[in-house]
Amino acid sequence: MTEKKGHFDEDLDLRISPKLSEDLNTLFEPQFSVPPELDRAIMDQANRCLVQRHWRHRVFRHISIWRIAAAAAVIILAFSLNLTQKPGPTTTSSFIVEAQAVDIDRNGRVDILDAFKLARHIESADRSKTNLSPVSSTGQALRKQGWDINGDGVVNRKDVDLVALAAVRLDKNKGVL
Amino acid sequence: MKKITAIILISISAIVPVPAQQSEQDNASVKPKFRFAPLHIYLDSGSQPLAAYQFELKAPAGQVKIVGVEGGEHKAFKEAPYYDPAALANDRIIIAAFNTGRELPKGRTRIATIHLQIIGDAEPDYELKLVVAADADAKEIPAKISFEKGE
Repeated sequence: MTEKKGHFDEDLDLRISPKLSEDLNTLFEPQFSVPPELDRAIMDQANRCLVQRHWRHRVFRHISIWRIAAAAAVIILAFSLNLTQKPGPTTTSSFIVEAQAVDIDRNGRVDILDAFKLARHIESADRSKTNLSPVSSTGQALRKQGWDINGDGVVNRKDVDLVALAAVRLDKNKGVL
Repeated sequence: MKKITAIILISISAIVPVPAQQSEQDNASVKPKFRFAPLHIYLDSGSQPLAAYQFELKAPAGQVKIVGVEGGEHKAFKEAPYYDPAALANDRIIIAAFNTGRELPKGRTRIATIHLQIIGDAEPDYELKLVVAADADAKEIPAKISFEKGE
């Protein structure tokens, strides 16, 4: 193991002689002298270019990271929302009908008879050619009863429909069965 | 930079297949045999004229889906009744209708037909409950509700 191998010439003298050094200097020495100002200007220019490139690279890198992160967030959010599941249909009116408002006969229960009774009131007013406009006395009386369910100033078929829809709404209770 | 990009992409590829696999499994599991059938609802008001009704139908969950509702045989109830559209694709529905006219049905009459999607071969058991029936003066009347399975 201690045996030296012949091709590893560890004792090679790497020093060069002063004469060779002088000859090499003479051979490769520049033929003209560069003024120190020019030298400095070139160095400054090079530094500026390198710094600009460095900053551009850093900014680009940051933007790319944010873009990728944003895209990832959008994809994850899209999958977490389960876009394949369509929202169920809702009642046709966006107007939220309060149970108290649609309990026309005030029996504590909202059912189709509330809508039926309101429809009969409206029809009897129509048959007697009573003016149901907001300014008429009959119209005002009906509204005072709280039967202008949708709040449009007129008690008409639209209010009846809202009461009927409230009666059949599934989420109003757990069911009668 | 490359390391962060690689981490983000690996995270996405690890997360995204999970819901995709779940939806595939859901699709695979919801592929049993199904058929469509109507369910005719009858109301017998005896000698009293029927002016309004409301009933509730409940079917076994996961076995039946309500796909449509149609009116009855008498012209007073020919139009589609009131129901919550949220009941469609559901197993429970409340149906109601009224007519303020004078020509009203008496005795046993078909008041509505409910179209169902029945999943599987088993015959479902339905729960039907009459909430209210009324005459032309909006007075509650006794009535008997029943159903017939159609083909």
